[in-house]
Amino acid sequence: MRWPTPLVSPIRMNILLAEDDPDTRQFVEDALGELGHRVVATASGAQALEWARDSGADILVLDRMLPDMDGIAVLRALRGGGHGLPVLMLTALGRIEDRVDGLDAGADDYLVKPFAISELVARINALTRRTVTVDTGPCFGGIALDLRTRQVTREGRVILLQPREFRLLEELVRAGGGFLTRTMLLERVWDFHFDPQTKIVETHMSRLRSKLNEGFVEDAIETVRGMGYRVRAS
Amino acid sequence: MIGLRASAARRIALISFCAYAVAMLLVAGAVYLATHAAFSRQINLSVEHASAALMAEYRDDGLAGLSRAVAMQHSPGPISLGTAVFAADGRHLAGNLATAAPAPGWHRITFLDPLEGPDTARAKVTLLPGGERLVVAADLEDLQAIDRAILGIFAGAMLVLLGIGVGGALVLARYLRTKLAVIEDTASAIVAGDFARRAPVGHNGDEFDRVAASLNAMLDQITSLIANLRQVSADLAHDLRTPLTGLRNHLERMAAHGGEQVAMALARTDEVLELFEAILRISEVEEGSLRRAFTRLDLAALLGELSETLDLLAEDAGKRLETRWQPGLMVLGDRQLLAQVLINLAENAMRHTPPGAAIEISVLEREGHVVLQVRDNGPGIPEADRARVLRRFVRLESSRSTPGHGLGLSLVAAIADAHGAALTLGDAGPGLIVTLTFPRKSAS
Repeated sequence: MRWPTPLVSPIRMNILLAEDDPDTRQFVEDALGELGHRVVATASGAQALEWARDSGADILVLDRMLPDMDGIAVLRALRGGGHGLPVLMLTALGRIEDRVDGLDAGADDYLVKPFAISELVARINALTRRTVTVDTGPCFGGIALDLRTRQVTREGRVILLQPREFRLLEELVRAGGGFLTRTMLLERVWDFHFDPQTKIVETHMSRLRSKLNEGFVEDAIETVRGMGYRVRAS
Repeated sequence: MIGLRASAARRIALISFCAYAVAMLLVAGAVYLATHAAFSRQINLSVEHASAALMAEYRDDGLAGLSRAVAMQHSPGPISLGTAVFAADGRHLAGNLATAAPAPGWHRITFLDPLEGPDTARAKVTLLPGGERLVVAADLEDLQAIDRAILGIFAGAMLVLLGIGVGGALVLARYLRTKLAVIEDTASAIVAGDFARRAPVGHNGDEFDRVAASLNAMLDQITSLIANLRQVSADLAHDLRTPLTGLRNHLERMAAHGGEQVAMALARTDEVLELFEAILRISEVEEGSLRRAFTRLDLAALLGELSETLDLLAEDAGKRLETRWQPGLMVLGDRQLLAQVLINLAENAMRHTPPGAAIEISVLEREGHVVLQVRDNGPGIPEADRARVLRRFVRLESSRSTPGHGLGLSLVAAIADAHGAALTLGDAGPGLIVTLTFPRKSAS
């Protein structure tokens, strides 16, 4: 494990931020700007909707509660117009029903306040990442998965995985070198939408890593504290 | 049938009935004695009067006058009197009283009633100057009849009282039981976790209504205190989380530029945030609104799904884990919360057992209940501490050195409660056995 230098994203993104709390807005703007993204921020839902429709942004980070127009309403208006812009919803409400509301209205992901900036960054990256996977065989960094036969190979060498390890690796490979946080893995692999505060991710990851690395010098999976896990590009 | 010991209502009814019965007996006795004494006195007076009248005849006209008077004697009053005169040698001289000559004074004598045979009578025998004896006797049959009548009336009254008493006792007992059962039901429902339940209050304003009203007021008070307490801890955790996350984000940005101390500070901040997260999770579960999202799910299948993860955790911790389940055991609940229970109990067992310990997790059906059980062969928990470890932040002295914040079992307890499942900690001899028994209705 090592401490990263600020990861400047390879792709410079245009991010729309609709957030009414000035402190959060400022902080998110700064943090994302530091990573090299262009951020346009507003406290108004109507403004955010207008920009989202016209500005050609890559992603909208949308607070659930805005003074003039509810985040859900903004989202419905946007999706109602057939707009496919990725939307990450922010909310102070972490209850299951609120989460479902947001996702029903067409949010692509959901983050509960207060959140770690690294979590926000990882999720923005995941949402804007171009899908590089073929339907049945995602591959990245020398690792290839066959979803039909459930076979895994690294540099052509077959690796035997348990079902949960396979799911874990599938998510990492699909992320194509992007980071996935522990929380994102809990959601996607175990369907845990809150942190169960166990070391199940760490334990599975260490097992997966040792299986992948057997006979190889290079570590297939990179762990960066605060950022998460990713498959190392070969 | 509830015995006397178990029913205060019956006891009260029985005691009041006994008190009535004793009072009745005393009244009956007093009436009997008073009537008997009055009538006896009346008899004595009649005998006395008749005797005196006859003696007057004797004084006026001597033995012949007396004999004449005796022969003509008939009882004019309500009491039938018999008279006789005997000679000094005991010969019967005159009169209708068929008896032997008694000694002077008051006697109870037996005479021969021409109609009814031998009978008893109260007699006054007066010795005349010539040695003759005058006997005046009152038949006691009337007195006995009155006595019998009085006793008969009271025996009848006693029977009626017995009937009324037993009936009344049963009605009273039933009434009290019905009234109290309502309050008892409410209390049981509260104990079972239905904090919204209240005792119905009637419109009479009687003792029961007042007790029910007081009980409800007390429950309102307790519920609001509990809600306040929960709200305070949840608010505290929630409000502190925001500035702490801010702090954490600043630390993260600083950590990006290096520095072991900053990294340490970041790690500590994460621990505190995790703790708050756990407190908020427990509050959310306890608050109960999650119940609305409960669905029917297969608990055995959930254990099956998680067994790979649990096996791996056990292997990592150097413990032997065995999972057993009967397929298709349905419960009403939340998948994530129940998965959390399985993981928490498994991790708890792994954390508090020595290396190589055996842990068994099972989901089985027992007497119609779905039962989730986690048992280990570690040191177990002393009986006195078992209830305590379910409380928040409680960690036993023996596990101070193991990691954890002491909220894992509290969360399990809260989740069990939200599912209406009974959570018990027992002795696996040796080891700990944690059992969650789900309500029967959700098993069908």
